[in-house]
Amino acid sequence: MFIIIFTVVMSSPMAGSVASSSSKDRSVSRTSFIPELQSMMFALGDARRPLHETAALVEDIVHTQLVAMLHQACEGALLRGSRVISAEDILFLMRRDKRKVARLLKYLQFRDYKSKLMKTLEDDDTPQETGTDTQAKRQKLAQDFLVWMDQTGELLSLAERHEVDPVKQERLERLERQTRSMDQNQYSEFCESRQLSFAKKASKFRDWLDLSSLEVKPNSIAMEILSYLAYETVAQIVDLSLLVKQEMTAKTNPISHLISASYIQYNTHAEVCAATVEQPSGAIQPCHIREAIRRYNCRHTVSPHLVSCTAYCRSGMAFLAC
Amino acid sequence: SISSKCLVCPSYNTDFFVKDSGFILGEELGLQSPTPQAEKPVATQQGVSYLSEKDGSGELGEELDLSFLPDELGTHNDTEDQASALEISQDSGVFDLNSQNSMAAYTQQGASTSGMGTMASPFCQMTPMTPMTPMTPVTERSGIIPQLQNIVSTVNLGCPLDLKFIALQARNAEYNPKRFAAVIMRIREPRTTALIFSSGKMVCTGAKSEEQSRLAARKYARVVQKLGFPARFLDFKIQNMVASCDVFFPIRLEGLVLTHQQFTSYEPELFPGLIYRMVKPRIVLLIFVSGKVVLTGAKERAEIYEAFENIYPILRGFRKQ
Repeated sequence: MFIIIFTVVMSSPMAGSVASSSSKDRSVSRTSFIPELQSMMFALGDARRPLHETAALVEDIVHTQLVAMLHQACEGALLRGSRVISAEDILFLMRRDKRKVARLLKYLQFRDYKSKLMKTLEDDDTPQETGTDTQAKRQKLAQDFLVWMDQTGELLSLAERHEVDPVKQERLERLERQTRSMDQNQYSEFCESRQLSFAKKASKFRDWLDLSSLEVKPNSIAMEILSYLAYETVAQIVDLSLLVKQEMTAKTNPISHLISASYIQYNTHAEVCAATVEQPSGAIQPCHIREAIRRYNCRHTVSPHLVSCTAYCRSGMAFLAC
Repeated sequence: SISSKCLVCPSYNTDFFVKDSGFILGEELGLQSPTPQAEKPVATQQGVSYLSEKDGSGELGEELDLSFLPDELGTHNDTEDQASALEISQDSGVFDLNSQNSMAAYTQQGASTSGMGTMASPFCQMTPMTPMTPMTPVTERSGIIPQLQNIVSTVNLGCPLDLKFIALQARNAEYNPKRFAAVIMRIREPRTTALIFSSGKMVCTGAKSEEQSRLAARKYARVVQKLGFPARFLDFKIQNMVASCDVFFPIRLEGLVLTHQQFTSYEPELFPGLIYRMVKPRIVLLIFVSGKVVLTGAKERAEIYEAFENIYPILRGFRKQ
């Protein structure tokens, strides 16, 4: 993974346009996903009404990361001599983190399975060739892996992996705890929020990303994966921010059993966030997010020599979803 | 003889049996004749004859009789269809050949089976049942019967077919070889769609019961035969059954997905329902927050009922208060 000095006042070495756009610019020039993000964050474990400024910050981060990913994928595609950005290019970016790749594969598997299932359920008056879409996404990916990257068979085997994904597990547990105490109305609101995704707003998502600066454009599978990655990024941010918030709460609160021991591995340079002190069980604050990102970057530091070796590293940014 | 069979597991749903007085007797006759027969005795005492609807021909490899079933079959309601489908008769196509074997398999499952009382239960007395006696349901039974929504079946007409000719001659037929390599034919009663391939194989979808699927398939076969092909009716088989029902309470899916991880997938961003892949019986259930449940993947009706009875107590455990 790559390094970034991520502060609110951007002074990163990255290509200027991508990194230095602030959320203020974005809401004027582009479509905004802030309301959707607020829903998504609620569905991922934030409070009932996430803060607007938190959502704005999340939008900023997700947008920046996705655009950076797209640019790198674009470079990869060009190197390949391809006319589109396809799944392989994005997967290549993700190659370092097996767990995340496995999660993506499971997602695509589910997508295939779901379309297959829907076909059998609908009384299909207009039958299609069996196998055009059903196995297409996964088969294509498996093939892509084989052709491009998989020297040891390790990546392909990820598709068959049945290991428990600890991050997913943690999320499931958290949501279960959260929903237990809800009443019926709250719960149905919650379920609706959970159904929101970037994939459902594909055209708005596409506009939001602003593909005009890219030399080659992503194909439909690549777009699907990108919308998945956008959602994963939000999920990661919420995961990490909740931990930070918990920790900050615990620091100012003598009840120490709130700390989830397995995940606190961070160093303790955390700024004390004033808002946490006032409202320990409230919504995620921007300071939590900033701290979470800071820690994530520290954790995903790559040594300089590695950075210069890889064809895809340019100016370094720790992707949350890769 | 009647006394040798216990028809109903005492725990099953009261309402179901009260509805059809004639069903039990007809079913019993079915039990006694697992092998294909040309003629079947008819249960006329209750005034409902389920067996008259069967045509005289056997199932496998025989010429399709053109003196066909009258269309009054289309007026049968769902209940009757359910009942008739339970008969272990050749024509239902449900319990294929070894009704005795399937009975044995069911009785081995003991009380956990949710079969419709077509088998002898080791737990109930071997006494004759008077059809109108309501049975006391055991509390853990759901009292809900999933309704069949779609049946997919296949049959082999046993001869190669000229699809273009069929499409030109038959009404309600579509054929677009560039899009799909089969003729798509539809009939109104039973409301179904057939895919007819040049090999002579045919898929029939859209029926709401096994009997209707079979009847529809026969009708399509008759159409093909009337067009001049030596169509037969070989290897009719139900390939998939889809049913749905409602438990009438909201379900907390997050709880379910956590505790049944090996069986469940729930990605609400992609699909609002939880997908539960039950191993035994091998059925896929789609469970929604609203309490609606869809079951698919069954080859036999009993699998659907069993799957639902398996899932119901689990769903109750995750009822959203």
